[in-house]
Amino acid sequence: MGKGVLVIGGGIAGIQTCLDLADQGITVYLVECLPCIGGKMAQLDKTFPTNDCSICIMGPKLFEVERHPKTHLLAYSEVEAVSGQAGDFTVKVRKKARYVDEEKCTACGLCAEKCPVTLPDEFNLGMSTRSAIYKHFPQGVPSVYTIDKSACRVFQGKKCNICAKVCEAKAVDYEQEDTVFDLNVGAIIVAAGFDVFEPSDIKAYGYGTIPDVITSMEFERLINASGPTGGHLERPSSLNTKTEVKQLERRIRKAKARVKSLEKDGGRSSEEIQETLERMNERLAIIRAREASLQEVKEIAFVQCVGSRDFRYNRHCCSFGCMHSVKEAIVAIEHSAELQSTIFFTDMRAYGKGFHEYCMRGASEYGIRFVRGRVAEIGQGDEDRPFLWCEDMETQEVNKHPFDLVILATACVPSKGIEKLAKMIGFELDESGFVRTDSNTPTSTSANGVFVCGCAQGPMDIPSSVSMASAAALMAGRTLKALG
Amino acid sequence: MSSFEPLIAVFSCHYCSYAAADLAGSSRIQYPPNIRIIKVPCTGRVSANHILKALERGADGVYVAGCLEGTCHFISGNYKAQKRVQYVKALLSEINIEPERVEMHFMSAAQGSKFAAVAAEMTDVIKELGPSPLNHSRY
Amino acid sequence: METELRIGVFVCHCGINIAGVLNIEDLCRYADTLPNVAMVQANVFTCAQKGTSEIEKVVKEQGLNRVVVAACTPRTHEPIFRACCQEAGINPYFFEMVNIREHCSWVHRHNKVYAQAKARDLIRMAVARASFLEPIGTFSSRVEPKAMVIGAGVAGMTCALAIADQGFEVILLEKEVRMGGLLRHLHKIAPCDVTASKLIGEKVAAAEKDDRVKCFTSARVEEVTGCIGNYVVKFSSGQESYTDKVGVIVVATGGVPLEPVDLFNYDGKRVITQSQLEARLKKGDIEAKSVVMIQCVGARIPERNYCSRICCMVAIKNSLHMKKAVKDAKVFVLFRDIQAYGVENEALFLKAREEGVRFIRYRLDNPPVVEDGRVRIYHPGMGKEVSLPADLVVLSTPIVASSDSEDLSKVLKVPVDENKFFLEAHPKLSPLDFATSGIYLCGNARFPATVREATYQALGAASRASIILSHDTIERVGTVAAVEAELCSGCFVCVKVCPYKVPRMNENGKAEIEPMQCQGCGICVAECPAEAIRFRYASDEQITAACNALHAPQEIRSEN
Repeated sequence: MGKGVLVIGGGIAGIQTCLDLADQGITVYLVECLPCIGGKMAQLDKTFPTNDCSICIMGPKLFEVERHPKTHLLAYSEVEAVSGQAGDFTVKVRKKARYVDEEKCTACGLCAEKCPVTLPDEFNLGMSTRSAIYKHFPQGVPSVYTIDKSACRVFQGKKCNICAKVCEAKAVDYEQEDTVFDLNVGAIIVAAGFDVFEPSDIKAYGYGTIPDVITSMEFERLINASGPTGGHLERPSSLNTKTEVKQLERRIRKAKARVKSLEKDGGRSSEEIQETLERMNERLAIIRAREASLQEVKEIAFVQCVGSRDFRYNRHCCSFGCMHSVKEAIVAIEHSAELQSTIFFTDMRAYGKGFHEYCMRGASEYGIRFVRGRVAEIGQGDEDRPFLWCEDMETQEVNKHPFDLVILATACVPSKGIEKLAKMIGFELDESGFVRTDSNTPTSTSANGVFVCGCAQGPMDIPSSVSMASAAALMAGRTLKALG
Repeated sequence: MSSFEPLIAVFSCHYCSYAAADLAGSSRIQYPPNIRIIKVPCTGRVSANHILKALERGADGVYVAGCLEGTCHFISGNYKAQKRVQYVKALLSEINIEPERVEMHFMSAAQGSKFAAVAAEMTDVIKELGPSPLNHSRY
Repeated sequence: METELRIGVFVCHCGINIAGVLNIEDLCRYADTLPNVAMVQANVFTCAQKGTSEIEKVVKEQGLNRVVVAACTPRTHEPIFRACCQEAGINPYFFEMVNIREHCSWVHRHNKVYAQAKARDLIRMAVARASFLEPIGTFSSRVEPKAMVIGAGVAGMTCALAIADQGFEVILLEKEVRMGGLLRHLHKIAPCDVTASKLIGEKVAAAEKDDRVKCFTSARVEEVTGCIGNYVVKFSSGQESYTDKVGVIVVATGGVPLEPVDLFNYDGKRVITQSQLEARLKKGDIEAKSVVMIQCVGARIPERNYCSRICCMVAIKNSLHMKKAVKDAKVFVLFRDIQAYGVENEALFLKAREEGVRFIRYRLDNPPVVEDGRVRIYHPGMGKEVSLPADLVVLSTPIVASSDSEDLSKVLKVPVDENKFFLEAHPKLSPLDFATSGIYLCGNARFPATVREATYQALGAASRASIILSHDTIERVGTVAAVEAELCSGCFVCVKVCPYKVPRMNENGKAEIEPMQCQGCGICVAECPAEAIRFRYASDEQITAACNALHAPQEIRSEN
């Protein structure tokens, strides 16, 4: 078995399939477009129904992928072209330049500390910031930093060079180039995962306009100890207020200094500045007065089926949304015992092993309220708190419920790159845009020698992704044996 | 002794009770900080001597936490441990030390809440009994 | 032979998981005072690459010969640090890990003073234990390139055929007279609309034809001994008994649909199960003009607190078949929640509604009432009770564990859960493995599964099994017991007490333990009256040292 297998996607499915193949002595190339492997599972705080810390149980596998003698980890890379057939594929891979020498980088983090550029951090879904030189997430593998060319001053033609100067390992290399090379493999496994549906399309839900309406992924980051708030459950409006307070205080300081210098010079100060100062102080007082109430998170709501089971957006069920919300509700209550969580659902889909018991515990031990009904509208009420309108299908009442925080359990949609990949490699997608397979050959795509596992095939939970990943590994190995 | 905080040694097996302790941890179930775990591959590894040594060396109470009846990863290790615990209890009675200071408990790897409950229960029991007679000189 | 113990202690912040409750600097200062500690260091994330390469670097630079890491649980992270020690040039078993996260910072959040004292105690005990660690190597043994698959339903046969396809021999056992499992009796499979008997017939034919697969029906597993790579299995098939050696075992024993005795006036004639409906549909023997299906019969109730995953789709599938079989048939499905998860299930659910199947919800505390010719149910949409005409009532019951799953679990020494389904090693990341290495799990034996799911689980289990079978030898770490012959008095206690019947008396009248078979439990070590059995992994010296360190020397136990 001279040739190896290409695995596209470094989430939990890609990682598992990679390890199964490598453990059988088969060479594997794992291509991941992000700077680190881990996928969506790395962004989760806990996993249901065991409430295991997600990155803690995943961590050892990330290491194993990197360290295994049979794996070639190609992170920050993309597949550009595929030709050939089962048993003999030629794959063009572009390894993007990090502008950091992977061999030299010790991941000490000094470069990121000193970098003058800040921009929203994608891993924390924009709720915190990162530098232009950054590590995708703290426990990320490979443990190296990357320069975001689109944000870096040097690549904008501006003067900088700070990271190169402070790097003790001399790992920064602005001259680094993308490397493009060919791989010859016998089989391909597509493990490209899924994307989270963008709920700003649903105007009635106010996502994007009401700060305290967030997605379940954003909530994961908020309650995560290595997330933007260190795991303290805070409302985005409270976070925004904190930022505004900081900015205002800085502007007030500047204005005061200006007034002082004017008075020193001319013995009088500009009326304009005095007026601005007064206005800013007034605003500060208003915000400060509200700060305390914004800090309170007493009632939170989870809205299920956002963009799923919906003729307007996606007809399919995201398959883990119900469990995801119950888990988040349980974890939230662990953070703060006085918290009341309410889940607005259509059907409670807790069909996996241990799932139903988990939901029952959520209700009995954690006091989660379950309301059967599709939320019609989310608005902003008193003190900018969100509220939602919903018909309770059990009581037939239509009620308006105020909450401190509303979490949208958003749909699971196909990865945005999957269409391009399907055309490139030649496999079919189904009507929902996921990779088409037969139930009798559940990991085989319509293209010979090309297999699929995990959410790329359809929305599924972690145990299903992992099982399917092992199955795909077997099928790929079998192809190599027969044709490679 | 109203401010007495007992020290309790716990012999915990890798497959069940240590995993249960981990689960209590990841579930953030709070319990009293009086126990000190000594990890063994199976509670069947724990001999009567080990339990006595723990008492001798400062533990006010000792318990062996093994797998649920019938589910020991090593089949019968938990039963062996239970036998030895009974033996030690009998021995302690003979020398006028309360046999309740030493117990055998059973739990599965999925019983994080039980681990915490047992820790709290044993802490209460030992608090009631007071410091071990072997430890009086320390108080 | 080293002359001086040089222990390195690494204390982890784990972000704020540990540092948020415990004072790391204080722990480092304390660790520094302990005997034999040559160096102490704190890390933000010890398991991150930076942390492990730090350890390697420091061990080499400082000439450390023992490593203690105070961080999270060794159950997940010990292998990483052992590998790290190996890279640094010291035996991986010269490593001790102490849990100050799951066992301290996470569970004593409101008790910081005591949590700190506990963390100090735990570190002191770990350092004391580390002082007596012994180097441990590996043993290797040949892997028998053969598998045993127990159960010849769709999961078992898919797995057996897949393993055989990899080039290994497979022994396939089936307890019934014929192979095929539940699919033999089903009508069609949704949503692909394949005839179940055809699908399973093809697999049975393939298994019987394949030279590498040896099929045994009316079979029972009697005894299993040995360990991964070398299991010795005694089984019977009809009147014959067999013994064979296999490298791995796969449990694919399936489940059975619950018979709803005493539920909803079940009589097997007019109130029937979905299985019985499928049998009638298969025969074409169905005339009912009005069918009422009831979901969650005997499931999602306190006595059986799980959802059987597949029954909603079975009902939806059969409701569509009913519509096809009987012109203008009225079909009602009475449900609590419809488990039509994912893409194709949800699509089929929509199709059923479009075809006119009526779905009416009911609550657990207000179930439908089955009477002669009708079913009464409170209709939440209409706000009143309605009476549905019912020529036929079909009860959707859960898959339950086979009655003999517990017996098999004892023979294989693998666990079952509270519902008697087999319990995998880890529900998220190792759903197809048992904690006992070399034994795998797939299909309904694990938990109810659709044909698609059982198939990929079976292929997955075959993949996991192939990892072992594809190697000529398997390495075994030497965390095993060994008899010191000169101390052995030949009393036979270890032979009697070992749950795996591993120790043997040799020709000199001394006990001997085969390292590849020893499971490393330590039961014989504790039982041996002569203390003649050496157990390097959890030796008496190590455990005693930990006990000795329970109390700090000259420390008065007080409130502070």
